[in-house]
This record gives sequence, structure tokens and C-alpha cells, in this order.
Amino acid sequence: MSLYEIIGGILIIIGAAFLFLGGLGILRMPDVYNRLQAGTKATTMGAMSLILGVGVVKMEDSWTWIVKMSIIIIFIAISNPISSHALARAMYRRKRYPFIKSSDKNMDAYREIIEKEEKDEKTVMNDQ
Amino acid sequence: MKKTIVIFILAAFGYFLAITFLAPEFESNRNRNGVKNVYLDKTVSELKTANTVTAIVVNFRGFDTLGEVTVLFLAATALGSILFKKRHHIGERTVMLPASSIVGSGAKLIFPAIILLGAYVFIHGHLTPGGGFQGGTIIATGFLLMLISYRDFSISHNILSVIESLAGILFVVFGLLGFMNGGTFLQNFMGTGVLNDLFSGGVIPIIYILVGFKVAAELTGLIYTILHEKG
Repeated sequence: MSLYEIIGGILIIIGAAFLFLGGLGILRMPDVYNRLQAGTKATTMGAMSLILGVGVVKMEDSWTWIVKMSIIIIFIAISNPISSHALARAMYRRKRYPFIKSSDKNMDAYREIIEKEEKDEKTVMNDQ
Repeated sequence: MKKTIVIFILAAFGYFLAITFLAPEFESNRNRNGVKNVYLDKTVSELKTANTVTAIVVNFRGFDTLGEVTVLFLAATALGSILFKKRHHIGERTVMLPASSIVGSGAKLIFPAIILLGAYVFIHGHLTPGGGFQGGTIIATGFLLMLISYRDFSISHNILSVIESLAGILFVVFGLLGFMNGGTFLQNFMGTGVLNDLFSGGVIPIIYILVGFKVAAELTGLIYTILHEKG
């Protein structure tokens, strides 16, 4: 194993670990903003580290790989924060406010709100 | 009565399922489909095209591709006419909030890169995976990004239809040129050049670039019509 492969492998493992934590965060966090935070931070770091690792491993063949991977990393660095910003802004505009008073071990904070809304709609329909 | 029908349907389903699983595998009667070998051999040796899929789509069955492009054009036109009529009937528009300035400046930054990627995909259609349809779709996503970032971003329908018509007419013209020079419609009459060169493959890259322009114009017009239908 060459030095390139060792360094690249370490970067890829770090990226994979971050992506796993991001997935876990999306599954475990209670509300939209926490989920976005977990998803975005982990995907940005995870994907960047993984792509950089691939570039370093392939640098043994030719140095152009690291340039290509840098371009992809720049693209992710621009697009990923912007998209999560737009998502968070849209959710704020839809009046899904951060969940502060959450009951303990609550996996999905919005379930209560959504169920309540559905119940209200049903009662409205029954009244009609 | 119902039970008999259900049993009959289940029996028929089971029969066809059994046929499917008991039939010989594809590998065993490989000699029967010789057309595959023709495609694979001729693509590299005669057409000098690295991407076999492109060679099949544009050259071996280029006439079908012309039909596909026409179908896409008709679908876009029909959807546009339906939405246009609907908008006239409703006559009111809901005001949508503009996107934030972060999204706007980010979209400005990314938009040229998306257009460049789309152009790259359809120019290198005969060398790398991708081609006219894919590159055109990528360009249309770039315009979609601009349309949702800036509410007042407008595209002239006249320019779009001019690009679309020109690309379609040139497709047919290249087909007819093959008719004159080689003998069949869409014959590859130009020199094929060297394998893996950018200028190789005869008319294949030219036709795929035209398809790319056509698809990009069509899908952009489609997105524009749909987005401005509700306001």
C-alpha cells in the first residue's frame, strides 16, 4: 500500500462515518431544523471528505484527479448550504416553528401537530 | 361465480409464471440474437464511436430518434395549449413570495456551471455516457433554478420556438443529406475520423448536439409554462 492509498482511505472512512451520523441524525432528531442541521453538516463534511479521499487515492495515477475532485467539492460547498437554507426558510414561512417544549424521547415532534390538524379537518368536514 | 373467475385468473397467472421460470436463460440461446454482435462490432470498427448506446440511438435507429423528438415536441405543445386555456379560464394569479437573496446569488453562481455541464454532456455524447436528451435536461434544470430563484426571470417563447424549430429542421436536413450522399435516410456520410477524438463519428455528434438544443428548448418552455400557470 502506498502513502496515497493510506491517506485517501482514512479520508474516505472519515467521510463514510460522517454520512452515517447524518443519516442517524435525520432519523433521530425531532423537528425539521434539527434534521436539516444533522443532514447538511454531515453531508457537506462527509461528501467532501469522501470525494477528496477518492481524489487522493487516484492521485497515484495522475494529478488531474485531485483538480477534478476539487471542482466537485467547490460545487458541493456552494450548493449544499444554499439548498438547506432554502428548505429551512420555506419551513419557517409555512409556520413550522422550532420545537422547544418537546416531551422526552419524542422522535417526531410534528406528529402531534399533524394529527391535531387532521382531526380538526375531520371535525370541520363533519360539521359541514 | 366469483370464485371460479378468481381461480381461473390465478391459474393463468401461475401458468405464465411457470413458463417464465422454466424457460431457458438468455445466456443459453445467445446465438439467436446476432444483432447485438453486429452493433458491438460495427460501432468501434466502422463508426469509430466510443459510446455504443449513442451509436445505436443516433445511427442504427436514428429514424426512431426522430420520432422520439417529435413525440416530445407534440407532448410539450399539447401541455402548453392545455395550460394556456386553463389560465384564461381561471384568470387569477396567486402571488408567490420571492426567493431569498442567498438563493438568488447562489443560483447566479451555479447557473453557468450547469449550462456548461449540459453542453459538455451533449457535445461529448459519442465519447462518454450521456448525450442530447440528458444534456438538454441538465440545461433545462439550470433554467428551472433561475426561474424559481427570480420571479421576474422571463424567457422569450419566440426564441425558444425558433431554436426548437431550427434544431428539428436541421435534424431532418442532415437525414436528407445522407439520402443524397449515401443512399439511405440518416446515412453516416461524413468521415468517421479517429476513435476517441472529439471530431469523430461523422454525423453522430452533430445530430446529438441538435437533439440537445431541441430537448433543452422544449423542456425549458414546458417548465416556464407550468411555473407561470399558477403565478
